Amino acid sequence: MASLATAELDALRAKIAAIEKRPVLAEGAAERAVRPAGVPQMPARSEAADILAAPAGVLHEVFADEQRLSGTALGFTLGMARSLIGGERQAILYLQLAAEAQELGLPYSIGLERFGLDPDKLVIGRIESLTELLWAIEEAIACRAIAGVIADLAGHPKALDFTVSRRLSMRAAAAGTSAFIIRYGRQREASAAKLRWRVMAALSAEQRFDAFAPGPPRFVVEVEKRRLGGTSQRAENSRLTLDWTENGFVSVEPRLGPQFSNSTPISRPQPAALGHRLSQAS
Amino acid sequence: MRLVALDAAAEAARLTPGQNLSDARALVSNLEVREIDRAYIEQVFADFADWHSNASPIVAVMTDVAAFGDLVLDITGVQHLFGGEDKLLRMLVGRLRALGFTVSGAIADTVGAAWALAHFAPGIIAADQLETVLAELPVVALRLEPSQVAGLNQMGLKRIGQLYGRDRKGLQARFGASLLLRLDQVLGRIEERITPRIPVAEYHAERRFPEPIGFMDDVLMTTRDLAIQLALRLEAEGLGAQSFHLFLYRVDHKVMTLSVNSARATRDADHIAQLFIHRSERLEGEYDAGFGIDMIRLAASSVSPVESAQIGAFEIRDGAADIERLYDRMTSRLGPFALLRSKFINTHIPEQAVKLEPVVARTEDDPAAVPPPGLVRPLRLFPTPEPINVIAEVPHGPPMRMIWRRVAYKVQKATGPERIEAEWWRSGKRLALVPRHPQAEQAETGLPQLPGLQPFQSTSTVRDYYVIEDEGGRRFWVFRVGLYGAEATPRWFLHGLFA
Repeated sequence: MASLATAELDALRAKIAAIEKRPVLAEGAAERAVRPAGVPQMPARSEAADILAAPAGVLHEVFADEQRLSGTALGFTLGMARSLIGGERQAILYLQLAAEAQELGLPYSIGLERFGLDPDKLVIGRIESLTELLWAIEEAIACRAIAGVIADLAGHPKALDFTVSRRLSMRAAAAGTSAFIIRYGRQREASAAKLRWRVMAALSAEQRFDAFAPGPPRFVVEVEKRRLGGTSQRAENSRLTLDWTENGFVSVEPRLGPQFSNSTPISRPQPAALGHRLSQAS
Repeated sequence: MRLVALDAAAEAARLTPGQNLSDARALVSNLEVREIDRAYIEQVFADFADWHSNASPIVAVMTDVAAFGDLVLDITGVQHLFGGEDKLLRMLVGRLRALGFTVSGAIADTVGAAWALAHFAPGIIAADQLETVLAELPVVALRLEPSQVAGLNQMGLKRIGQLYGRDRKGLQARFGASLLLRLDQVLGRIEERITPRIPVAEYHAERRFPEPIGFMDDVLMTTRDLAIQLALRLEAEGLGAQSFHLFLYRVDHKVMTLSVNSARATRDADHIAQLFIHRSERLEGEYDAGFGIDMIRLAASSVSPVESAQIGAFEIRDGAADIERLYDRMTSRLGPFALLRSKFINTHIPEQAVKLEPVVARTEDDPAAVPPPGLVRPLRLFPTPEPINVIAEVPHGPPMRMIWRRVAYKVQKATGPERIEAEWWRSGKRLALVPRHPQAEQAETGLPQLPGLQPFQSTSTVRDYYVIEDEGGRRFWVFRVGLYGAEATPRWFLHGLFA
């Protein structure tokens, strides 16, 4: 019965997605399709992975509370964008205002390599003005060979208003290229981005052999907005604690903040495996 | 102070160039004198020369006698476009006269002869009459030094013809080898070359307008047409080009040049036109058509063979072409240094180990420079390391507390040190006998700076790097320069941020 219901649900989701002209969560659908009928549904993909999974062609906003978290924000964004590389989409474009390089830091390719990204696939754009930067995002989104565009903006420019975000969001949907805008601060403006993340850093896990050494980077991610159609909105306001390992993001036991106590608890005794391509977390 | 140039009225008053200013004032009491700005005139004359490339692609300013004033055009193969040599000369001289210049021009087989004729007997001269006509001209027409002219005149050698039969050795002994060189150049016995102002493009397409045009849109439309013409020519020869130059010839003798580059050789007219559209958006303010543009030329350079691509059902799309086109488009609008890729350099110094180079001008990667796997490096690096205040537990241990950008951090976890030595074998300080100028070393930092941030001397000394994590899980890459116990107190810097 369960599988029948899932099949029905999938069909409905596909229909809605077709109406909204948005790709379905492709991986999930494929995974369910191969399962023979009658086999009980296994929690193959953890809830955290479901929340993180986003189809290509959406506009994300990644917020960090402070500029000093620029490394954390970039790490999370690259982790999300990395999975978009494939096929003819072979490059990620990182855009920054040239004047903000010292304030935020420039992506450093040796560090990127350790983060699982081939430095050759990241092109860094240092752009003089915001108008040019917005033009560059749009131009890059339209390109079939770009996997993702990451724009890093230190300030709260007036030019980046709802109209602009709507425009970018629609362009992204039309071209199937994802765009990520990294912003700083707690202020939120009206935006048409489908997904808004708030990224924070957390003290890393204790290393087995050296208690004083920093462990794998740990992110606390709040889903502030998630409008991907279907039931995706349910994940809003949930909070994930993720470790970055060489296999990608691994969800660890979350520390629920008091303001999120009403959200879906994601309690798991063991660090869960993420997706079919990920091995067990260490 | 001497007179350099005169107008017609001054000449009528029998003043001569080279005359003493006080003498001239004595002759003409109401003389109007202005100081000559040679640099400015040279500049203007050079622009003026460029404009003449609408008559012939090879235009040069002859600087043998004066830095400005002599314009040379190689008209080989272009006369017929203007209906013959005399019509061409009349057109060139006539339009300059119409602009109010005093001009004289000549056409001859050699550069030297043309100069001599233009200065002493304007007109056109056929190859077989060269010697006879030149024989009658004064020796000054050979572009000689004043001392040589004076010497020749003293000896009674006043006409070029008198030099024809002379003993060459004797002439060389008395007046130097340059006299013989000039003589041979004038008569065409030695080839004389001119250096074109605008690099000669073998592949170009041009259009002239009966009425000058002014709007950028019109220019871009014409560019598109020219790009199609040029593309057809390139295609016929199986070629593509990487650089395209657009020359806009203004009616008021100025040339505007727009150049675009492409990451790979191309002959796609749409793409070329698109690049110029983006390039034009970047110069919106500085575009000035003046009184109009009467000719546009599109030239291609850096030409290389391009295989014809077959568009078919079995084409493999790898996106490489798409992405290079995107880079071209973005570069043409944002400037050549906007889009960068990382190139590894074989060094241990972190900020030098990666060099950002323009994607459109990518150079060969050095396989030895690829960093070893497992290197602990931050995700973001600050172009200039920022000084921090640090309290360390033990003199050579990791920091306990630090103050960065006026915020205090309490360090929870740390690893290190990773010691990076200064590259003494490269700094040259031990090898160079003459110490380098300190300013020359500073000049290399062209990166954006926060106010009050001192440029960092990367070659200075040993650094100990630590990865530290504060209570909030923020990770920093900090380093210490110098050692405790040495004469100078060690300084701490923050160099990067981890995820």
